[in-house]
Amino acid sequence: MADVRDILDIERAQGTEVTKEAIVGADKKKKLFGATKSAPKRPEGMAREVYALLYNDKNDAPPLFPTDAGQGYKNMKANLGMKKVRPWKWMPFTNPARTDNAVFHHWRRVCDEAKEYPFARFNKKVQIPVYTDAEYNLHLQHDNWTNAETDHLFDLARRFDLRFVVMADRWDRSKFDPRSIEDLKERYYSIVTTLSKLKTGPGFPPEAKNYHFDAEHERRRKEQLERLYSRTKEQVEEEMMLQNELRKIEARKKERDRKTQDLQKLISAADSQSEPKKTERKFTRKKLPPQTRPKVDNLSGELSGIKFPDMKGSGVTLRSQRMKLPANIGQKKTKAIEQLLNEFNIDNNPVPTEEICQHFNELRSDLLLLHELKIAMSNCEFELQSLRHQYEAADPGKTLVIPKGLFNESSSTPVITTASTVNQKTDADVAGPSTSQQCSSTML
Amino acid sequence: MKLYPQGTNSNPTELGPESSGGRMKGVCVVKPVVFGNVARYFGKKREEDGHTHQWTVYVKPYNNEDMSVYIKKVTFKLHESYANQNRVVLKPPYEVTETGWGEFEIVIKIYFHDSNERPVTLYHILKLFQSGPEDVLSKNALVSEFYEEIVFQDPTAFMHHLLTTTHPITSGVWKHETDFEEKRIKTLESIMNGKTVVRERINELKEKLKLAKETIAKFKEEIEISKRNSANFSP
Repeated sequence: MADVRDILDIERAQGTEVTKEAIVGADKKKKLFGATKSAPKRPEGMAREVYALLYNDKNDAPPLFPTDAGQGYKNMKANLGMKKVRPWKWMPFTNPARTDNAVFHHWRRVCDEAKEYPFARFNKKVQIPVYTDAEYNLHLQHDNWTNAETDHLFDLARRFDLRFVVMADRWDRSKFDPRSIEDLKERYYSIVTTLSKLKTGPGFPPEAKNYHFDAEHERRRKEQLERLYSRTKEQVEEEMMLQNELRKIEARKKERDRKTQDLQKLISAADSQSEPKKTERKFTRKKLPPQTRPKVDNLSGELSGIKFPDMKGSGVTLRSQRMKLPANIGQKKTKAIEQLLNEFNIDNNPVPTEEICQHFNELRSDLLLLHELKIAMSNCEFELQSLRHQYEAADPGKTLVIPKGLFNESSSTPVITTASTVNQKTDADVAGPSTSQQCSSTML
Repeated sequence: MKLYPQGTNSNPTELGPESSGGRMKGVCVVKPVVFGNVARYFGKKREEDGHTHQWTVYVKPYNNEDMSVYIKKVTFKLHESYANQNRVVLKPPYEVTETGWGEFEIVIKIYFHDSNERPVTLYHILKLFQSGPEDVLSKNALVSEFYEEIVFQDPTAFMHHLLTTTHPITSGVWKHETDFEEKRIKTLESIMNGKTVVRERINELKEKLKLAKETIAKFKEEIEISKRNSANFSP
């Protein structure tokens, strides 16, 4: 109850709360548990068993000498209760909650004889407000409700303690039109609200002014529940299927987004790869004296995928160890690098001087990037083709032109510029009807 | 144990291998070595045991210096079919000569005088047969050797002393079967070449990818437009 009152921001009613302590042993003193005696803490590193020997539950130091109090186990006296026994008595009682003054008997402690029957306080009565005919005529008139009907409603409310489900069930259908639970609630609470604005008294708590029963909302809610409950098996299955489809579509979308992001990453990696080129060139011009440590050692590999071991720790190592591909480079990538090395006619295990190690590692980093770019490129090509097919299918007779440079496999740089010019040109007339022929010729 | 002569100048000589004087931070000594094997074909299969080749596996300094100053021993682990599979060589030349008929991997371990420096391990596939187009039955010795560098990063003071007080192993010319210098220059050249080409290709691909990305975006837009149009035209 208290929580509900807090939520509704209603003042707490005083003294009427029924709690467990109020009924059972309110006069029982609370036992004090361990509040005063705090056990000494176990020192760090001391075994629990050793600590248990030192400090048992009695919390005193262990005896240094063997002691013998002279008492054996047999002399132990049972000492169960400290208080005197309180007698019980068979006595009559009346329950104030009953209206018939019936007298029953039960066992009770003698000291409790004068007290009221403890369970009487659970007899809570709902206060149903009353109204006079004058009040009804003045304020409570309603198009749908007659005075007699309203009286019947309040009579039922009193009889069944506002249990609206029961009230709706016992509604007198012979005299009045059938009413739903929502109808009853709506009428009842609107009357209580109206009345409580006019007067105070039993049945008109201050919060009653704010009662508002949204019958329409309640009706919709029940309707919705009804619909949800009365779905057929097929409908449930269809919904499940649709939800799965939605999930799949979202996953695909995510995948696409991830791919474009990866592509962007690759491009920026390639960008950063081409930039430090100049500085490195300078670096390689002046030959390193063989016995100094390379300053850019840890730089190699960081720009792209491969992070080679930097071997900075003290001790003896073999130079060729620096050329070992780290374990996180998978079999496929390793194979790809090897293949590209073969393509360039470079030994897979070159003479391991410091300089060669560094450049070889950088070269392989680049090769890996190249490999990844190639994969990305073929993915892009595939996507372009499928997009074009999609476009053609949606709009037969038209087509999209894939810029020429994208399919050109030659390795000379001028291709890039021509490709971009082709792109510029096609920008203007893409999707134009004339381009379909142009495209078919380029595709052949 | 006996400390090696020459360097009587400073206190490192007083340092034994047990108290090796701590590590010299930032110091790096590199010792290039050559390891591998030579093999010679008998010309026929030997009757008694079926062996066909005599071979020698070795580790030797790339430069003309006596490695025994800092190397305590070198062990060669041969194939298990050989008697006394683990061969230990305490003095130069660090080599094992045997006869046999098959190729296998030999594990070479180099131990240093300072036990604080851990031994390094080389792996060599014993080579007996020419893999190239050369005459398989040629009587000429076959050489399969590799260049390697032993890197002493932050050596102990004792080890550093040993490493820097070497003397030539021979007064003659120290030569190898393989011209590593030429190989080195060639390799470096091809790597640098490869680097340039790869970077060019990367740039090229990058541009292409950018273009492809833009085109994909454009295509998607076009598809959207055509979809919208067809939606408008249809009743």
